[in-house]
Amino acid sequence: MKQDISSLMDGELGGDEAARAIQACCSSEKHKDTWNVYHAIGEAIRGQAPHTLARRESILAALDKEPTVLSPRTRMLETTFGRIALAAAASVATVGVVSWIGTQGGAPGVASPTVVKATPAGMAQPVSVTTAVPVAPVVPVADTHVQDYLNAHRQMPGPDAYRPVANRGAATAR
Amino acid sequence: MRVLERRGGPRWIPAVAALGVACAAQANPGSDPLAWLKRASEAARVATYAGTFVHTNGDRTSTFRVTHVNSGGDELERLEPMDGPANEIVRRNDEMFCYFPDAKTVRLDRRITARFFPSILRSAPEAIAASYEVKLGKSERILGHECRWIRLDPKDRLRFAQRLCSEEATGLVLRAKTFNDQRQVIEQYTFTELRLGPQVAKAADVRSSFEARVKQWRTDKQPREEARSVDTGWTIANPPSGFQKVTEIKRTMPGRSEPVSQIVLSDGLASVSVFVEPNAPQGRTAEASTEDGTTTFFVRPMGEHVVTVLGEVPLATAQQVGRSVARRP
Repeated sequence: MKQDISSLMDGELGGDEAARAIQACCSSEKHKDTWNVYHAIGEAIRGQAPHTLARRESILAALDKEPTVLSPRTRMLETTFGRIALAAAASVATVGVVSWIGTQGGAPGVASPTVVKATPAGMAQPVSVTTAVPVAPVVPVADTHVQDYLNAHRQMPGPDAYRPVANRGAATAR
Repeated sequence: MRVLERRGGPRWIPAVAALGVACAAQANPGSDPLAWLKRASEAARVATYAGTFVHTNGDRTSTFRVTHVNSGGDELERLEPMDGPANEIVRRNDEMFCYFPDAKTVRLDRRITARFFPSILRSAPEAIAASYEVKLGKSERILGHECRWIRLDPKDRLRFAQRLCSEEATGLVLRAKTFNDQRQVIEQYTFTELRLGPQVAKAADVRSSFEARVKQWRTDKQPREEARSVDTGWTIANPPSGFQKVTEIKRTMPGRSEPVSQIVLSDGLASVSVFVEPNAPQGRTAEASTEDGTTTFFVRPMGEHVVTVLGEVPLATAQQVGRSVARRP
């Protein structure tokens, strides 16, 4: 299970596997801890203070001090965790489909500006995950357009640029 | 040696000063952050090193092997991405030779916005200090080398904070991190293996390892020709503070019948490309954007044209740039 949670955080699981991992992760206190510890490790590696653990422990400490409201707070904790997991699943799915998400160009009637945040799966902090993961309103489209500009800006075209045209489709369809 | 034995003697001050200038690239700059920045920039140009570094930007991670020497004042570097199809970049100062062995093609280009680690600083420290608060941070041991962190904090919200870990003896940057305004690391370059010093590589080592593998290389010189400045007819009327135009060129891009105008801005650390091209008949009708790591993409239809901004800047900066594109008067 630990491997599954790790893979989930790394965005390596497919839809079904990810759903299973999230299910297992949310249903067991032990696996929740694993999830938290892995996030803390990730944050430590990235040079950040391990907020996840600190926050969780401070919440638990607060719960101990206020026994009368234990029950509702506990539910809130679960709900929050559920939302985190759901958001993580959403970002796994989003990132899994395309790493660069464009919006649908040329669709008449799509007039409002759209902002997509490509959130690394499982890397997002609980705070940002629960408040803003704008995945629903956007239809993800693999936008080779973005890649063209990225290649031009980096001055590093992919080797595809020099493949014979006939082979290019196969190469880009990977 | 007598100079050193009698150090402090007023007679020898000029000699000691001259010695100091000669060793400027190595001298420890003490507590002056700008001197650290300058030395880091210089070390990326003059140091000899070979190793492996990892680049993480958003959810993308790539590993590169690098060999770098300075020969007669010329910077020579070989950069080999370890992931994906084989290819290799050999760089001589700003000249880039990209080898694609499968396609038997070597692509020539001139460095404008291409990113090379640890060659991160593209302007004089003073220019960078106009937009960033430069301070020295703590010392840390990285890959067996003592390093000192140089902290670059933006003076406004138009750019990202950066931290560079500069090796104490040579100044070479061994690790670089970029943070968003929530203090999260969004991009990182770090050596994972490094050999440093004049003995680790010679100029002859810095040539494409693929060169001998292909008998007849095709040479694509077009990118290098396109890297020359031209008048695109477009201008950025209201650039974000600290950002200045580096160049404007016309680039051939896949699927376009005409070259695309590209204007490049930089604040000395971050760069932004602005592309302007005719909008397709069924083209974009609304603004859109994406962010991944430090890379921000913003596209905006503008009459019969479409403006695309891509760079290592926050979305607000990309938007300001994109919305101030105008015909040159």
